[in-house]
Amino acid sequence: MITLRHVCKIYPSGVNAVDDLSIEIAEGETLVLLGTSGSGKTTTMKMINRLIETTSGEILIDGKDIRRQDPIQLRRKIGYAIQHVGLFPHMTVAQNVAVVPRLLNWPVAEVSRQVDNLLAMVGLEPEDFRDRYPSQLSGGQRQRIGVARALAADPPVVLLDEPFGALDPITREQLQNEFVELKSKIKKTTIFVTHDVFEAVKMGDRIALLDAGRLQQLDTPVGLVENPANKFVEQFLGQHRFQLSLLTRTVQAIMPGTNEKASRPDKSIPSLHLRAKSSLIEALDTFKETRELTLPVYEQQQYIGNLEKSQLLQAITQVLGESGDAQ
Amino acid sequence: MNLVISFFRKLGPEILSCTYEHIYLVFFAMVMATVLALSVGIYLTRCRWPKLVSVIMGIAGSIQTIPSLALIAFIVVIFAFMGLPTIGTVPALVALVLYALLPILRNTYTGIRQVDASIIEVATGMGMKPYQILLSVELPLSLPVIMAGIRISTVWTIGVATLCALIGAGGLGDLIIKGLRSIRLDYLLAGTLPAAALALVLDWILGLIEKWLTPEGLRVGT
Repeated sequence: MITLRHVCKIYPSGVNAVDDLSIEIAEGETLVLLGTSGSGKTTTMKMINRLIETTSGEILIDGKDIRRQDPIQLRRKIGYAIQHVGLFPHMTVAQNVAVVPRLLNWPVAEVSRQVDNLLAMVGLEPEDFRDRYPSQLSGGQRQRIGVARALAADPPVVLLDEPFGALDPITREQLQNEFVELKSKIKKTTIFVTHDVFEAVKMGDRIALLDAGRLQQLDTPVGLVENPANKFVEQFLGQHRFQLSLLTRTVQAIMPGTNEKASRPDKSIPSLHLRAKSSLIEALDTFKETRELTLPVYEQQQYIGNLEKSQLLQAITQVLGESGDAQ
Repeated sequence: MNLVISFFRKLGPEILSCTYEHIYLVFFAMVMATVLALSVGIYLTRCRWPKLVSVIMGIAGSIQTIPSLALIAFIVVIFAFMGLPTIGTVPALVALVLYALLPILRNTYTGIRQVDASIIEVATGMGMKPYQILLSVELPLSLPVIMAGIRISTVWTIGVATLCALIGAGGLGDLIIKGLRSIRLDYLLAGTLPAAALALVLDWILGLIEKWLTPEGLRVGT
């Protein structure tokens, strides 16, 4: 767990980069720091691994004040990945991933086993990639190595600074999807910095929207999109609100109240179905692909009712109306 | 052909001993200059006082503008005032080291400074100590630039070292001066050709060392 209490950062030039920020990040949660450039999101992240020191306020990791800890030891327990150039160009993929385990003096055999595990985890064949150099990789592959390296020593906390920022939209989306899947498996406390509201909505359990160093809203993706706390948040979401609503609102939220839970006798899930946690966009895609008019909805293994295409369309129209009102 | 054979028969031993002295001078001057320039250069990249950087670079630069003959003369005069030996290897080495400093110093400083700041930051963020960053990130990445400085410096030093014969430090300059005094082409060539060959050979060897030391990841193309 990470706790920020009244954290301020004032640069010697007088710029107030972060202003009285208090956030609590739960164990295993992914918090997205969202904002434009100059909002203080990267400064906030760098204060957690002490690349930047706070001016006032305190930051606790698992209840321990980070300023009472040796910064070197602190950083070795925090995974860190940044945009584009993060990899060391003179080291192989394996050497890059092994940096922190080596710093921690892991036994050699364990380091190489861990490297192989991580490469496999981010979808790169270890045999094939271990001995390559960063210059021999594509942008997407480099970012995967960057994420693998951040996870290398199995740190409880991971900081990711726009890790997918420099990628083309297609690779980017692919990596985002992989990361969402990965994080559900490994459950690390993650802080993810981005300026892209769609990425934020996709990656975050919660989003902290910052502007000029001040916290504007701290909420779940749905909360942020559905109930903007103030004018700034509304403006920030701007014309994307309709699209964002379709991304954040789940099938479950628009299901007509049914009580026929588990009423279906057959336990096997049909191949054509919707997941309760799917977004409206995903549901719409499924209807389009299958050309069905009604689809069963499942929450994990549990049948929770049927959704008709007309109901979905009606819900979407309603969202469109709401976001129209807001503007 | 006969001419060449008689040339070597007469001057061979002298050429060998002068070349040996020359290599000796250049080698020790370069080792000292490299150690000194590397340490000062590395220190300057860490120095928080930009004035000091420009002052030291300025001093190293202005040494370079003094004609090499004059620099040797100055060293001798200064040594004489201080009661230090004014002939032989010691003043010669001092002059050569001073002369060799600038290219190595400048390239060490700029080489390390041009390492991408975000790479240093990510290394820091991963928990590397400053000396670990220097040894495993900054130096490997700036090595080609530093080696280029050492190569330039070596080639210069081989040339300047011929002047050290004037203050009794020996070397191939001895043969050249002899040729000048006695108006003898064979002595002139006996001093000049080995010096030129030495410059080519050492540059080649240093090139190999550079290739060998340059991390593979910087050599492979995209």
